Amino acid sequence: MARAGGITNAVNVGIAVQADWENREFISHISLNVRRLFDFLVQFEATTKSKLASLNEKLDVLERRLELLEVQVGNASANPSLFAT
Amino acid sequence: MTFDEVSMEHGKSFIFALQELKNLRPQLYSAADYCEKSYLNSDKKPMVLDNMKDYVVRALVNAVDHLGTVAYKLSDILEKQTFDVSTMDLKVSTLNQRLLTWHMYTDKEGLRQQQLLAFIPRHHKHYILPNPVNKKVHFIPHRKIGARQNSFQTRTRLHSSGTPISKTLSWHLASETKSTLKKQTSRTSKNTKDSKFYKKISGVFHLLDSEGSTRMKTSAAQPHLTNGVPTSGAATQTMGATGRDALKHSKPLTTYGSFDDRNGREAVQVHTRSKSVLSSFFVKQTAAKLKAGSVL
Repeated sequence: MARAGGITNAVNVGIAVQADWENREFISHISLNVRRLFDFLVQFEATTKSKLASLNEKLDVLERRLELLEVQVGNASANPSLFAT
Repeated sequence: MTFDEVSMEHGKSFIFALQELKNLRPQLYSAADYCEKSYLNSDKKPMVLDNMKDYVVRALVNAVDHLGTVAYKLSDILEKQTFDVSTMDLKVSTLNQRLLTWHMYTDKEGLRQQQLLAFIPRHHKHYILPNPVNKKVHFIPHRKIGARQNSFQTRTRLHSSGTPISKTLSWHLASETKSTLKKQTSRTSKNTKDSKFYKKISGVFHLLDSEGSTRMKTSAAQPHLTNGVPTSGAATQTMGATGRDALKHSKPLTTYGSFDDRNGREAVQVHTRSKSVLSSFFVKQTAAKLKAGSVL
């Protein structure tokens, strides 16, 4: 009877160990994927910032050019005799 | 209107997706708390653990899906905005080009008008130097008078006129007048022939003057030699000397004789020279006689 109890204990321990390994594998898998997600987010942030910066620069240049054109057109319209010629 | 509506719809969808992503966070936190409590309080822990694992996986997948949607929509909006800015930049460039073209046209028109209005006067060459013209007018009679007078006076005038700079300019102008005079003379053949004849005569006159001056010098030198001979010499020497003098004196007489045919002035000069020679001959003869008497 003592031998039968020892065997059952060993089997229980084996089952417990296997379950523990499965749990550890799951946890590592989840951690790895979360890290990938984090890396993606960091890269996306950098890309988006650069795009926004270039867009902002283009808008500034465009604004200045428009201001210059407005001034030139204003000067031209202020002298109607030139248009008449 | 359609463009604005589309852009507004895209904006709204992005905002909605972002809001869903924000709402996902408290749901995940509440799920985590529930799983923790159920695992601790339940007697069937393995079953609770399995259920919790499944739920966590699904929650993470959902979160990733939301993140992907938000990222895609944001990228799409940025691309559209960039495209719009590029289009606007092209339009501004077009306007700038038109304005530059207008400026070029106005500048050309202005220059053309200024060219039409402006009048640039042209001055002739002879107006540039008014003073040499006055000298030119005054210089002509001097040259004419100089031609009539002796050559020596003309040479002195040329030397005097050559030294200053202003006079050299007048000299050039006079040379121009000479060239014009030569052209006028070339038109008439008679005038040219007469001018050539006078030039030849003047040339001959110069030569005659030079030859006469040299002969006068030689004739003047000979009496000094005769006077230099000592009186104590032999009679033969004195007789030889007198003969030589006679031979030498005979040559100029022949040359002077040929000039009588050409000009009266030259004949007058020849007569004067012959008289002087004859008087010197007689003087020498009387001297020789006196010397011969003294020797005896």
